[in-house]
Amino acid sequence: MKLSIPRASTLTAVRHATSTSLIAPAAAIRTFSVLNRPPPNYPGHVPLTGVERAALAIGSGLISFFNPRRADTIAAFAEVTATPYFIYRLRDAMLASPTGRQILRDRPRMTSTSLNLEYLRSLPASTVGRTYVEWLDREHVTPDTRSAVRYVEDPECAYVLQRYRESHDFYHALTGLPTVREGEVALKAFEFANTLLPMTGLSVLAAATLKPSERKRFLSTYLPWAVRNGLRSDEVINVYWEKEMETDVDELRARLGVEPPPDLREIRKREREERKRRKEAEMSGAAV
Amino acid sequence: MQVWDGVSDARIEFEWDRQVASATTIAYMVENLNLTSGLLKRLAELSGVSVYDNARVERISHGGETEDGLDLTEWPVVHLAGGKQLYARLLVGADGANSPVRSFAGIEAKGWDYGRHGVVATLELEGSGWGGDQMKVAYQRFLPTGPVAMLPLPGNYATLVWSTTPENAALLKKLSPKDFIAMVNAAFRLSPVDLEFLHKQSAGQADEVAWRFQHKHVDPSTVPQVAVGVQEGSVASFPLKLRHADTYIGERVALVGDAAHTIHPLAGQGLNQGQGDVQSLAKTIEFSVDHGMDLGTRMSLEAYNAEQYAANHVLLGVCDKLHKLYSVGSGPLVPLRSLGLNAVNALGPLKSFLMNQAAGSGVKVL
Repeated sequence: MKLSIPRASTLTAVRHATSTSLIAPAAAIRTFSVLNRPPPNYPGHVPLTGVERAALAIGSGLISFFNPRRADTIAAFAEVTATPYFIYRLRDAMLASPTGRQILRDRPRMTSTSLNLEYLRSLPASTVGRTYVEWLDREHVTPDTRSAVRYVEDPECAYVLQRYRESHDFYHALTGLPTVREGEVALKAFEFANTLLPMTGLSVLAAATLKPSERKRFLSTYLPWAVRNGLRSDEVINVYWEKEMETDVDELRARLGVEPPPDLREIRKREREERKRRKEAEMSGAAV
Repeated sequence: MQVWDGVSDARIEFEWDRQVASATTIAYMVENLNLTSGLLKRLAELSGVSVYDNARVERISHGGETEDGLDLTEWPVVHLAGGKQLYARLLVGADGANSPVRSFAGIEAKGWDYGRHGVVATLELEGSGWGGDQMKVAYQRFLPTGPVAMLPLPGNYATLVWSTTPENAALLKKLSPKDFIAMVNAAFRLSPVDLEFLHKQSAGQADEVAWRFQHKHVDPSTVPQVAVGVQEGSVASFPLKLRHADTYIGERVALVGDAAHTIHPLAGQGLNQGQGDVQSLAKTIEFSVDHGMDLGTRMSLEAYNAEQYAANHVLLGVCDKLHKLYSVGSGPLVPLRSLGLNAVNALGPLKSFLMNQAAGSGVKVL
């Protein structure tokens, strides 16, 4: 399925015809008031004024911080803080890579239908597709839970953010990090080092809300892993996941330069069992 | 004239307000063919000039003492192929950057290579420019690899001067006309990131650029009109360097133009400097003749060197620094230089001063 973002040429042509100024950059920044909102640049686009943008950034940021389950506010926060600079940087990173350019040309969207999960389940165990679908099954999530980008001005940049959002689950599969808060924070740190999107960076602050033992593990193991791998590896936004389904996941990791972190799920399980055993030992000790 | 920063899009427009009485053309573009034919016409008018056409200089040496006792040991002798010898009271070296006259005179030229090539081509545009044939506009965009300029010619034609890395220049020369035109149009419109990618492709630029134009919207009046064709065989390139001879004069030798100084083409000052040299040298010779002096001695030539050397040196330095300032692709220098450019653009009197300087009608500073 292709994203139906229209080529905004007709819209800008009108704008250019009316502008008599020769100063180009001024034409790129549109100023307007709430009473006079311009038409959207793509379906679903909501043009915002600077004040609205700032208010939305602060509001959604606060709500997301105190309630990390609010996917809607996290999404809004990601969109309004992606400009200026950050989303353009990511778009340029895509434009600099042949695969990234191909993605921007095709603008593929990822849904459970476009990805054909049944086919992915039939792939050999070590492939990217199988790892991904196993990760989906293990975490009980589907690819259809990603909302559409609304607040990014430029249609192409809106797609870049959409692509990042839809690829997020593949980053989970690539790194093997679970969706529990500890895993998400570690992955967000990795994404921040790799994509530099402000939302991912601010999500890392959620480390403050982790349990002390988890926070200690994050700071000693997962944060150094995230920073090292995020900076060292290629831009993960440039992976054409749809075409990598049959690739060996270790081969892809090697190509990107990502080393898998220690299995967080495994560690947590072991710790839980340890705790349980200790508790049982205490219980039986007390009984004796 | 429109000049802008390829990274930040900061822009400066050199354009006279049409109401201003002093409004003149800022600069003229002269094709080499017109220049040479004009010079030849003038020579024919003056007469008394011998032109040795299609003659190769075999070597230049010093003369000796003639049988009737003339001491010509300090006179340069130009040996032409075919045995003809020309004794010169004053030998003017207007023989380009690798001047044989300069090496004969033992004058060193110091400087450095920019590691860039200038790619030139004659282009056909979709129209005769946004101002029509009456008001031609020159465009220059500073890219991190070097400036790219589109200079107007009569009719639907324009000339391209694109300073870029030797690798990019080699690629541009190899491209098919369709891809070459796409690259030229991209150079004035797309981001440096896109251009860097396009320079890595050996073919297919036209398709790639057509796709990018769907997503990159540029006000058409701020960039040159779309190039639709390139004149066959007009694509060429030359290495860019800075050279300045230690002096313009020797005993019975004077250097003018590229033989004396080689400049980065970003401000299009090479020809202006050469013309300035010739004007000044002619004045100096005229003075010597009027006062019965030997026009070839170093003494009589001093005035020429004094008048031109420092002025040329400043211009060489300014262009060199501009090149260095704009070869930075990112970092804190980009907003700073953009601020500076916008400030100059906003300061009317300063801009008028610069335009007058460029047009040669301003106050003489040096």
